[in-house]
Amino acid sequence: MNNTPEQLKQIAEFIASYATCLLGAGVHTSRVLRNSTRIGDAFGVSIHMTTLSKTIVITILDKGNDNSHTEVAQIPALPISFEYNAELSALSWEIYDRHLPLEEVQKRYEEILARPRMSPKLVLLLVGFANASFCRLFGGDWGAVAIVFVATLLGFFTRQKMQQRHYNHFIVFTVSAFVASMVASVSLLFDCTPNIALGTSVLYLIPGVPLINGFIDIVEGHTLTGTSRLIQAFLLIICIAAGLSVPLLLFTKNLL
Amino acid sequence: MIVLDVIADGLLAAVAAIGFGAISNPPRRAFKYIAALAAIGHATRFALMTYSGMDIASASFCASLTIGLVALWFGRLSHCPLTVLYIPALLPMIPGMYAYRSFYALIQLMQCINNYALSETYMHQLIVNATVTFSVVFLLAIGATLVLFIFPSKAYAMTRRKNYPEPPAPSSK
Repeated sequence: MNNTPEQLKQIAEFIASYATCLLGAGVHTSRVLRNSTRIGDAFGVSIHMTTLSKTIVITILDKGNDNSHTEVAQIPALPISFEYNAELSALSWEIYDRHLPLEEVQKRYEEILARPRMSPKLVLLLVGFANASFCRLFGGDWGAVAIVFVATLLGFFTRQKMQQRHYNHFIVFTVSAFVASMVASVSLLFDCTPNIALGTSVLYLIPGVPLINGFIDIVEGHTLTGTSRLIQAFLLIICIAAGLSVPLLLFTKNLL
Repeated sequence: MIVLDVIADGLLAAVAAIGFGAISNPPRRAFKYIAALAAIGHATRFALMTYSGMDIASASFCASLTIGLVALWFGRLSHCPLTVLYIPALLPMIPGMYAYRSFYALIQLMQCINNYALSETYMHQLIVNATVTFSVVFLLAIGATLVLFIFPSKAYAMTRRKNYPEPPAPSSK
């Protein structure tokens, strides 16, 4: 296919925006590369992409006339979204199978990005139940389960409110771990399993998606992005530990 | 009752996976598959650990491999990428209590640095618990990802549809 330099630039800008959106929303690197290459194939261009932790460099090369275009794009810090992962991957196949023109592709892309996320209140409730059943899985008694449910609701509510105001996410994690574990330390007053209540009350904060994505990236050879994801996840875990350490130091010394 | 225990374990894991998954905004159609995968995986691990005495790391690996294989089938039903289905399903298996205990041991260690015998106990607890945590998370990720390596062409085409709902828009070229 012979694209003019102008068309090539538009394709490169679209693919750069598409790839950074996926990387920012928590998709592992090899899928982003595959999806982008697939879109490139549909437009008759080959894709050469370098992914770093906050930036991508992408060069697209027209297979017909050897024109090329290079874009450098920042990876935005989006909240994790599996919906983007699923829908944007499906979009890449549709572009490949049906050879959609670029205007149509851009329209679909904007539509997917504009879809509303799940209602925060519903998420709050689901997370509360999730952490409470987690507590039960680890062998907490029903008193501990009830306390963890309340602790999680308050802790996650704090996190949502702070994230809305765009606080630094290390501070968000520390403060919400602190709130949840302080509430959970109420269990020390009752005759239930306080250790399990305290331990599970902060588990809703564990950054499971970057942890698993990091390992997937490393195993697939994208060691650089994988390691940076793991380091980010590790820093967040340290923040959770910092928040949790306050009630542990305040209240559990007499447990010894 | 063995069967009831295993089912109860699976149900709790399903609730946990739905809640923790909801934070990451999965597509609505994926929820029932995520719940089923989490239940299958966690119940497998529970059964292996309780009734055949397998250690937590190997049992987690078997469970996540099972999740990966079943996700291959569910992915085709739901047109979702494999990671969308199996990452939320793996979350309830992340060994939170071991992570907590290693941190607890660290805090206690700091309180008794001058007491050699006591600090040795806590150091021991810290290393044991941290090692278990790391190994389990690593094996969980590897077990489910193995499926991507064994069936690459299937695993990468989950979101491709055979039929598109409306006819293709007329090309402008």
